[in-house]
Amino acid sequence: MTGALGIKAARIAVVLAVFALWEILSRTGAVNARLLPSASDTLVMLGDLLQRASVRNDLLVTASEVVTAFFVAVPIGALIGFLIAENRYFADVTKPLLFFAFSIPKSIFLPMFILVFGVGFAEKVGFGFFSTIFIVIMSITTAVESVKLDHLTVARSYGATPMQTAFRVYLPSMLPVLLEALRISMIFNLTGVILAEMYASRDGIGHQIATWGENFQMKQLLAGVLMIAAIAMAFNELVRSVETRCSHWRT
Amino acid sequence: MQPLANVTSLKPAARSGAVQLAGVGQVYKTSGEGVLAVSDVSFEVRPGRFVVLVGPSGCGKSSLLMMMAGLRHPTSGTILVSGAPIADPDPNRVGVVFQEPSLFPWLTAEENVEFPLTLRGVAKKDRRAKAQEALQLVGLEGFGERHPHELSGGMKQRVSIARGLVQDPPVLLMDEPFAALDEQTRMTMGDELLRIWAATGKTIVFVTHSLTEAVYLADEVIVMSPRPGRIVDRLEVALPRPRTFEMLSGDVFGGLRDRIWRHIRKSA
Repeated sequence: MTGALGIKAARIAVVLAVFALWEILSRTGAVNARLLPSASDTLVMLGDLLQRASVRNDLLVTASEVVTAFFVAVPIGALIGFLIAENRYFADVTKPLLFFAFSIPKSIFLPMFILVFGVGFAEKVGFGFFSTIFIVIMSITTAVESVKLDHLTVARSYGATPMQTAFRVYLPSMLPVLLEALRISMIFNLTGVILAEMYASRDGIGHQIATWGENFQMKQLLAGVLMIAAIAMAFNELVRSVETRCSHWRT
Repeated sequence: MQPLANVTSLKPAARSGAVQLAGVGQVYKTSGEGVLAVSDVSFEVRPGRFVVLVGPSGCGKSSLLMMMAGLRHPTSGTILVSGAPIADPDPNRVGVVFQEPSLFPWLTAEENVEFPLTLRGVAKKDRRAKAQEALQLVGLEGFGERHPHELSGGMKQRVSIARGLVQDPPVLLMDEPFAALDEQTRMTMGDELLRIWAATGKTIVFVTHSLTEAVYLADEVIVMSPRPGRIVDRLEVALPRPRTFEMLSGDVFGGLRDRIWRHIRKSA
């Protein structure tokens, strides 16, 4: 089976196999069931957790932090990225510096965010923003640079105004890279917010997961992991489905 | 500003589609130093003529074309298109076809052809009608719904020509439009262009590296020297139209090609 359908079937088979292995290891006692509760028990727990008002509230808190950080980081990052891509001098000065900054693990700055913002919404949003902004700047720079000079010349030779050039050439040219940028930014953003929640927070799903782990509540912990994984993958796939539709004009 | 030679004799009405260059020069600024790219180029293209510019790489023939399109500005001299100076791109007077088809990949072939009209806010219905007409002219009827990645190299360049013609400008400027195509497609496209030219009566200024292409297409070939680019020869191509493949091996054709080659070899 090597057709497109065969490959899809094989993928599903791999996922099912992982769950089956998980179930068997736990049920047969090959791995201590207290350390690894069975897959079926975990899924039941997941359903149970989603019914709980406290868990729903945690999800809501995390979602609001993630969305806030995202909507602050993306426009600011986009603006900086745009300036860098359009201004040669600015680019020459800042590009290497940004690459240096990007290579630093952002998590080492988390204690500083806690000291500055205290424990709470601002700290988590701030750290989410900080985790996201660099990748946004770099992606937007790439997106602007992906606009072909040929296309700009064509627009100019047919008398396009700056606004027309922006909306009819820049935007569609950048769209595939932009969507990818959004997708990857969200991964960094989610990672930042959840890390902040796990490290120092009084609410949010990341805080809840850390608590379950500390209290050795493995069923809840694994269910929480499945929950966040599913949410992250759903968002990723949503953007990616739009992305593939405009993939044919990527350079 | 220098006076224009032979221009005053033209009546204004007869000037639509005329391209006149007088004393055109261009200096490039590279790291503070000025490089003379084009020097004192003067020629006139009468309406409806097919003129080809040839010359070695870097002779400024493409620069000249970009100046005629209003995309670059000459440092000295004047350029008149249809009797008026061209300071900025004016799609009503000049259509441009580039070496790369430069179609927008997110638009269909028809939308690409419509693009110049879209910029001017022409109504959808009228745009569509004009685009269909232009696509039919370049032999792409029925391909309007396709996206550029679904078209061959030759078809893409046809779309690009249709886009250049859609506003019906009297002058079409073509910058090595077939250079990226394979030899066979290139010959076919040459014949196609001559057919379109005959059907529309446009003035065409065409830049190429290929001597064969130059002689095959042109009423007149203008030969340029290497930098600083200036005119070294002008040849009338007295071959009858329509041009045929058999003419390529004839004496007249060979003689003209050799004459151009001698100029270019000298400078190589």
